Order: sequence, then structure tokens, then C-alpha cells
Amino acid sequence: MSKYRILTDDAKCTGCLRCQLACSQAYQKSFNPSAARIRIDFLGADCAIRFTEDCVACGLCADNCLYGALEKSEEGGAS
Amino acid sequence: MTLGGFAGTVLVVDLTRGVITKEPLDPALARDFIGGLGLTVKLAYESLEPGTDALAPENPIVLGAGALVGTDLPASSRLFSITKLPTSGTIGWCGAGGVTFACMLKNAGYDHIVVKGRADRPVYLEIIDDRVALRDASPLWGLGVSATCEALWKDYERPAGVVAIGQGGEKLVKFSMAYVDRIATLGRGGFGAVMGSKNLKAIVARGTRGVLVADRKGYKTLKKTIFERMRAYPHLKEWQEMGLINSFPFVERDTYLNIKKRRVACVSCPIGCKDVVEIKDGEFKGQVVCSSSAINLFTPVIYGMKDYRQAIKLIADLDEYGLDMFEFMGLMVFAKALTENGLIPRDKAEPKIAIESLASMEAWASKIARREGLGDVLADGFPGAIEAFGDKAEELAPALVKGMHPYAGPGAALPWHLFGSMELGQVLDPRGPHVGSSGSPTYFARRPLEVFPGQLDRMGVPEDEIEAILPKGDKGEIAGLKVGGLLRHSHRWFAVLGSLGVCARAQINRFYSASFCAEAYEAVTGIETPVSALRERADRAWTLLRLANLREGFEREREEVLPHKWFGDRGFQDYVSEKPLTVEETEQMIDDYYREWDWDPETGMPTRQALDRLGLKGLE
Repeated sequence: MSKYRILTDDAKCTGCLRCQLACSQAYQKSFNPSAARIRIDFLGADCAIRFTEDCVACGLCADNCLYGALEKSEEGGAS
Repeated sequence: MTLGGFAGTVLVVDLTRGVITKEPLDPALARDFIGGLGLTVKLAYESLEPGTDALAPENPIVLGAGALVGTDLPASSRLFSITKLPTSGTIGWCGAGGVTFACMLKNAGYDHIVVKGRADRPVYLEIIDDRVALRDASPLWGLGVSATCEALWKDYERPAGVVAIGQGGEKLVKFSMAYVDRIATLGRGGFGAVMGSKNLKAIVARGTRGVLVADRKGYKTLKKTIFERMRAYPHLKEWQEMGLINSFPFVERDTYLNIKKRRVACVSCPIGCKDVVEIKDGEFKGQVVCSSSAINLFTPVIYGMKDYRQAIKLIADLDEYGLDMFEFMGLMVFAKALTENGLIPRDKAEPKIAIESLASMEAWASKIARREGLGDVLADGFPGAIEAFGDKAEELAPALVKGMHPYAGPGAALPWHLFGSMELGQVLDPRGPHVGSSGSPTYFARRPLEVFPGQLDRMGVPEDEIEAILPKGDKGEIAGLKVGGLLRHSHRWFAVLGSLGVCARAQINRFYSASFCAEAYEAVTGIETPVSALRERADRAWTLLRLANLREGFEREREEVLPHKWFGDRGFQDYVSEKPLTVEETEQMIDDYYREWDWDPETGMPTRQALDRLGLKGLE
């Protein structure tokens, strides 16, 4: 699976968790936000995006983000 | 039988005895009522004793999250509840964007919660995977909605979902609501008071079990289809940027963009209609406010408040108390008229009721939420005020339906005049005046007739019925609109979406079609579901909701009468001709609506054939 550089923009995140749903479904065969390799932290009225250590930067989260909070570029590694 | 989509368990919480039981979900019932709204109706029908007082321990609260909730189909995160509502006395569906709550409830392993009885002290319900318990809520009692959510999030961490009431619910204010994750409203008509009457301050849910799909391959194909449809929608960015202000431009675009901090979405939603704003200047500079929509924040402006920043502050206060802003604003206009006409002595109306004054409105919100002085009377809503101040007060009241203030129509918060299904639905929705089941599932007010056929086709309405709803003129143009027939299909479509757990907002349901819904439900659950079966199951659920209300005495003759203030020169107009609406025309619309449902035109009772067809035999 190709690896990308995942670009994040917390300000655009709405907390919809589509990224966590897609990630967990792909790797755990179950829609389970707690098992996703990307996490959205709710900090008061803000959201913060982070990745767990086992993230392989496959780009699926970015493919499923409709708000522009996650985008992928060809250079490898999540950021 | 193990179903996909469903978590498989119903939680039954007896607050009186402090006993919680976990009952397996009956797969046949899940199939027959789809899930979500539909199955919530069924569980409530079984739990409700007709004639029960809405605030008595015997009135159950049933909550439900549909089979698609927790998946990543767009906006499949809806939370529904059924209970008897204290203002209207109806058995009302209450719905909210589930934010994270509905998804977390499913992840914890539960599709539905049935809450019965009354706790002897304030409690909250903790649902963390297998750990389900009633906890002491004394430290939370007296807190507002967001303060309660914040306190629970400190202990349970987000994305735990929280359903909570504010001081209004605690004090049994009859137009109090519950809030989901502090930002989505649940239960206009007094759902908050029902929770308060049970000493139930909040429900918190968080889970790690996941939601399984029966046919992963089929699901993947369906998801790709709808995802591409969303990506291709030319107005997606516009809705994401402006939210509901896009359809209700109450304030200038720049004013909104100046205060917009960010949009908030329920789980899996591509639009994100909820708002976080920050006041940038003036007295409340720096105040950050979360709201179910920015349009709500500006509502007091429609009522005459000049400074939008003060309007935001007032709505933030009402949300914290957990009060329905439409009912509050309508009630304050009414109370002002009662004072000016001498029906309320001026010394009791202190401070002076001034709609345009933030100080006055904040004082009255507090008095109502705490039931202080005249606030104690107003806390019982329009019926309470009319009972206290007599027949003359009734003459001064705005248009009312089942004791509540319909918020779309002449003299209301959304003051448009064309009479479509959204407007008729405020009378024919079993719960009382609400537009959720009758408006955006079908159309948006004042939309041109040319867009209707496509919408109806998508909703699965057969071609001959579309032609009957939109009769053509001599030149083949659409020349009329049969509002009753349109409303029948709107209610069915709403029941389909709600039972799946999908948001019915126009901006969301435009991505769904009846055939897609049937295929998605089948792929997720593994239950064979042709479109015709999905329609029949939705009709079964809506008909059972009708029966639950007939059991309470809400027959056509007595209860489904349009307010006389909707007629006349300043009343509603026909959707097509724009001539003043007549009583006879609306009677015909109601006849049409009943005929389409196969309900008795005199009583509104489903016919025996209709009940037999839907497997509801013996419930007449």
C-alpha cells in the first residue's frame, strides 16, 4: 500500500469522525472509532488531529475527509 | 440470528428500583420496524399506559439509534426518542443530530434504552461498554447544559456522548429540552421536563465494540456510489462554509463569517450544520458559543432585538437552561401583550417585559428556568398562561397547535406565507407543531414546483402518484400542488430515514434515494429488504405512532384543526395561486392525507384493512 504524507488542518476539522470510521473499517473490519489509527481529540470547542504509532499513512483518512482537514501528498509519513 | 448493523441489546433501566437489565433485541421486531425511529415507536407503544401523565414515573422514555448509525454513510448518526410530551400531551417523536452520542451508544453495544420510573435522588446513567450503572448526579444538579456536559467529559473523556438537561428540565419547565453533546436539541414540547421528572440529569455513553456490516463488499460499492454523489454536489462547499445561514440569511454573510469559529458535524455528516461562534467585539467580546445552528443564534433579531451580539448571548443563556427558544420568544411576546392589556398586573411583570432588551429577556429566562414569581406560570407554556389569565388571554395568544407555538407561518419566527407540506405538517405530525417530518425531507419552503418531481422520484413515490400530487395544466405544465398527498409521502420518507438513523435535513437526504436506502439497509443488516418492504415497514411505524396518539384521544375532529389565525388577509396563502388559504381547502388537504394513508376521514383512525395490511391487526 502506498504511503503518503498526510497534511492536517485542525481548524477545518468538524469532528465528524469519518476518518476514524474509514480507518477502523479498513484495518479492523468494524466501524470502531476507538480502534482507528487516527484520532480526533475534542479540546473544548476545538478539534486536534493526531495519528497513532501504527498508522501507515495509507491516505484513506484523507480520502474520506470532506472538509479539507486532511489531505495527502506523495511524500511519505503522517504529520 | 445475528444481524449486522444492530448492536443487539436493549437496555431497560428502572429508575425506581435502581435495576438495569440487558435484553436481547428481537430480530423479527428489528426487521418489521427497521430500527431507530421505527423500533423506538414500537418499544414505546408497548411500554406506555394510555392516559399516563407525562411527568408521572409511569411515562417511559425510549431512545434509539438506527441500524446504519455508527457506519460511515452520510449523516447516519441520528438519535430518536419517544415519550409523552407534557406541553402537547402527545406521544411525540423527538429527534436530534446524534453528534457522538448515538454512535457511541451503538459502540457500547446498545440499540435502544427504555427508561422507566423515577429515581429518589438525582442520577445520571453511565453506559461504558458492558459497564452500565446509575451514578449520583447531586454535584451536577443545578448546572446548565454545557456545564453538565463539560463535567461529564472530564470524567469520561470525549468522544463520550452526553444527553443532558439544564435547570429548565430540572424544574419541569414544559418547554424544556434535552441536549446532545451540549449542541443538538432533543424534544421540543418538554422532553427535558420528562427527564427532570425522573431525576435523570444525563446519560453518558462511550463504547469500543464497533459496528459490524453484514455484507462488506456490497456496502463498499454502495458507499462509493454515495460518496461520489457527495463529492460531485456543486453546492457542498457552500453549505459547509455557510451552514443553515445559506437557507435563512437572517444576517449579512460577512457578519456570520466574522463570528464563525468553526462548524461542528455529527458523526459521518458531510455538511456540519452546527456552529461554534466567537463574538468579536462589544460587551461580550471573546465569548465562544456552541449552537445547533447559527440561525438559532440570530432568532431574537427577528423578534426585534437590535444587536445580534446580544441575540447570541440570549440564545446561549436559553441553551444553558435547556429551554426551547421558539417557545420562549413566542411566550414572551404573549406575556408582553397580556401585561399591556392589563391581564398581568404590572407589578408582577418585573422587570418590564421588553423583547428588544437583553437584560429583560435574560431576567425572564432565569425566572422561568427557576420558576420564580410569574416565571412559574410561564414555565407551564401557553396552556399554563391561558389557564392562569383566562379566556381573554386566549384571544391574545398567537396561533397555537396542541398548546404549542408553530414556528413556521404568519406571525411566527419563520414568517413565510405559502402553505405546503411543511406548514400542514405542523398540524398533522402526531407530536404537535414541528416541521422536521414534513418540511426538509421533501422540499424547502417556497421552492419552485419544477424541483418537486425529481425529489418525489428519489423518495420512491410511484410516477402515477407524483402526477396526482402535481396535476398538470393544458400545456403540460405543473399547475397545482396536492399538499395532503405530498405530506403523506413526506411522513413516510421521514420514517424511512429516521428508522435507518439518517438525518432528514434537505441538505443530507438529497444524497439518498429510496432504492439506495433499501440496498444500504440490506447490506448493513443482512435483512432482505426490497424497496416495497422498506416502505411497508416505515408505514407500519408511522401508523403505530398514529395509533399511540389516537389511544390518547387525538382524533381528527377534536385535535387536528388549523388555528383560525392562519386564515384571512394576513394568513397563509395557497402554494401555487398565492390566494388566501380557505378552511375548506385545508379540510380537503386533510381528507387527502387521510385517504392516502387509508385512514378514516371522520376520525383519522387507520382502517381495518390498513391495519391488516401492516400487520397491526387488533390495534383499532
